[in-house]
Amino acid sequence: MNTRFKSILVALVLPLALLFASSALAQNYPNKPIRLVLPMAPGGAVDVTARIYAQKLTETLGQPVLVDNQGGGGGSIGPGIVSKAPPDGYTILYMSQSSLYTAIVHKLSYDMPEDFAPITWADAPQAIIAASPSLPAKSMKELIALAKAKPGKLTYASDGIGSSAHLTMELFKKKEGIDMLHIPYKGQGPAMIDMMAGRVDVKSCGIIAVIPHIRSGKLKALAITGEKRSVAAPDIPTLVEQGITYWHGSWKGFLAPAATPKEIVQKLNTEIVKVLNSPDIKARLAKDGIETVGDSPEQFAAFLREEKVTWTKAIKELGIRLE
Amino acid sequence: MMTDVIHNLSMGFGVALLPINVLFCFVGTLLGTLIGVLPGIGPSATIVLLLPITFSLSPTGGLIMLAGIYYGAQYGGSTTSILVNLPGEAASVVTCLDGHAMARQGRAGPALFMAAVGSFIAGCFGTLVIAFFAPPLTEVALEFGPAEYCSLMVLGLVSAVALAQGSLLKAFQMVFLGLLLGLVGTDVTSGMERYTFGLPDIYEGFSFVSIGMGLLGYAQIVANLERTTKREVIIEDVKGWMPTRDDVRSSWKAILRGSVLGSILGLLPGGGAVISSFGSYALEKRLAADPSRFGKGAIEGVAGPESANNAGSQTSFIPMLTLGIPTNTVMALMLGAMMVWGIAPGPEVMSKQPQMFWGLIASMWLGNLMLLVLNLPLIGIWIRLLKLPYRLLYPLILLLCCIGVYSMNRNTADILIMAGFGLLGYIFNKLDCEPAPLLLGFILGPLFEENLRRAMLLSRGDPSVFLTQPISLALLLAAGLLLILVTLPKVSRTRDVAFRE
Repeated sequence: MNTRFKSILVALVLPLALLFASSALAQNYPNKPIRLVLPMAPGGAVDVTARIYAQKLTETLGQPVLVDNQGGGGGSIGPGIVSKAPPDGYTILYMSQSSLYTAIVHKLSYDMPEDFAPITWADAPQAIIAASPSLPAKSMKELIALAKAKPGKLTYASDGIGSSAHLTMELFKKKEGIDMLHIPYKGQGPAMIDMMAGRVDVKSCGIIAVIPHIRSGKLKALAITGEKRSVAAPDIPTLVEQGITYWHGSWKGFLAPAATPKEIVQKLNTEIVKVLNSPDIKARLAKDGIETVGDSPEQFAAFLREEKVTWTKAIKELGIRLE
Repeated sequence: MMTDVIHNLSMGFGVALLPINVLFCFVGTLLGTLIGVLPGIGPSATIVLLLPITFSLSPTGGLIMLAGIYYGAQYGGSTTSILVNLPGEAASVVTCLDGHAMARQGRAGPALFMAAVGSFIAGCFGTLVIAFFAPPLTEVALEFGPAEYCSLMVLGLVSAVALAQGSLLKAFQMVFLGLLLGLVGTDVTSGMERYTFGLPDIYEGFSFVSIGMGLLGYAQIVANLERTTKREVIIEDVKGWMPTRDDVRSSWKAILRGSVLGSILGLLPGGGAVISSFGSYALEKRLAADPSRFGKGAIEGVAGPESANNAGSQTSFIPMLTLGIPTNTVMALMLGAMMVWGIAPGPEVMSKQPQMFWGLIASMWLGNLMLLVLNLPLIGIWIRLLKLPYRLLYPLILLLCCIGVYSMNRNTADILIMAGFGLLGYIFNKLDCEPAPLLLGFILGPLFEENLRRAMLLSRGDPSVFLTQPISLALLLAAGLLLILVTLPKVSRTRDVAFRE
């Protein structure tokens, strides 16, 4: 064949080869360590859960999954890094709903979830609405009645402006028509101390940290989020049981940069869901009141879009602004 | 109760003296000392790096090692403070003042010795305090609400002024400048961003490490380099480590006072260990026969604060273990580690895992002993390290500072911030302004503000709450008293001078 024909042949064949190359990429993936970015400082409950996943994923993927804590900025720095990372599946994000709230309230360098490729909804840790033992209310109904009788007198603590403990309580106040004073804290610890001492009345707390205090009687539980009661605390009624159906719980999920190829996202999804469904991980997390989910990328993407709409509307209505 | 304590401690020692746990203790304390000696790199960064490894260890062994790293770093941190005038952590800033002054006089040895011995005695004291009082101590932590914290911060800020050697006015200015710098970042109470200029790197404010390394590390190195035209040896001929009888006489009371102060203040979340070292310094300066010696090499200014911060670092475990509430970053990391092991720290730990709890307490005492034995012979080595020509030493220090700052957040912006503060520190040096009060204002200011506003929120705007709560009132009175005692001599001295003229 003459050179001209050869070049035409090459020109036709090459793009086809590249088409297959991307799936070849997926077949070889992963062949080097994966960076799992966490938008929070090490040591907290979310960090702990992520490390448990990372350890198991390292075993199943055959490549080290390295946890990279990028805390700060209210959970906005971590997603920022991932949104700008190369979309080759070697940088992924494990985030909680707080990063979404921060992205809604602040003007950031990225859009959530638009600049990301959702992988899967990992887990939904339950939160307990805890109260000071000195508060004369044993259930949500009694709390609402007490708040109505003493408008503005009751106080609730949160982990900071824009945190889920803050936003969920504000939504609760609006829906039930009550008035409680918001006291922001920098962390769960000092807030729990003030609750135990009776200085602050109520707080929505992550289940792991608060359960020992409920068992020892230093704090009492009014309700728990989620569809059903927790294995770790079977005698705490859910909010749904008490007639409150609009309370959004917290959620954690895995995401990748938006341009990551579909095959790699699918492979990550398959592997992560396997880890989420593995009996030892399920048992380990159930002890702490965390239920794993593990849905498909499309389902998670739809969920994220829905959450964004709901909370954008809610935040605007509640008038929560940060500047 | 005595029999309980003896029973608990003997069970604890039974666990702590198991060969594998002794090994963990040794590794932890050795690593901790190394980390503490290197300026800039602190225990938090090390613990984060080691977390994945500790997961495969037994909980007791892992905790023993991590704890060893933490209080080992306190020992090591005093070494850098004394020898190189660089605080390893916020709590070691005070040791720089008199410790480094002593080093410049060729008395680095006695300073290091008394710091080590003081820390050991404080450690023993701390262990006994925990053994006897762990449950009631948690009640103490609960009594401290926002109003009490706010008043404690006021006391701390007044202590900052007491630290000043030179002009009182300049000290006040530096404290206020520190307060202003502490404002930068996101405000907890309102969620507003202050002075961040849209830079996400400072959403959470400046980090203490960047400012400390910049003001104290960089600035000092630049100042020293300026002086090399005189071919000056930075540390004079060091004459060995034995303290004189005078040293021992002056120090032992400081050590005891520091131990008590540190044990109590270490219980309090956020800045407890820092306040105890600053508080001890102010106390010693106030009680000394000749306060003007402070800042120029008074050994009590080393022995007291070092004991205080070591006692504080031990008692800071109590709120974490018994309430599940971490008092600082390192405790938060250990809490995280315990959660991975499936142990929920909290009121149940003492009853459900007594061997782990008491094993940890006993190993802390053991660790203190190991550190004393480790550090004393090492003093000679550190001193020899100092005799390195400065042109080799300072790039090493600079490099370690950069690594330390970068290791905090993996963010290069922090290094630039440190360089900026280095420049500022150089200017301060020229203007004869001390950086220590600024650092204290920077740490305590935000805590003061956060608690002030929270106390006011809870009291619905009623400021009398600071005076009606007994602990708060006591702290404010102490602060007022300290303020008067500190300013009066200076005022009367100026008046004396004016009179003479």
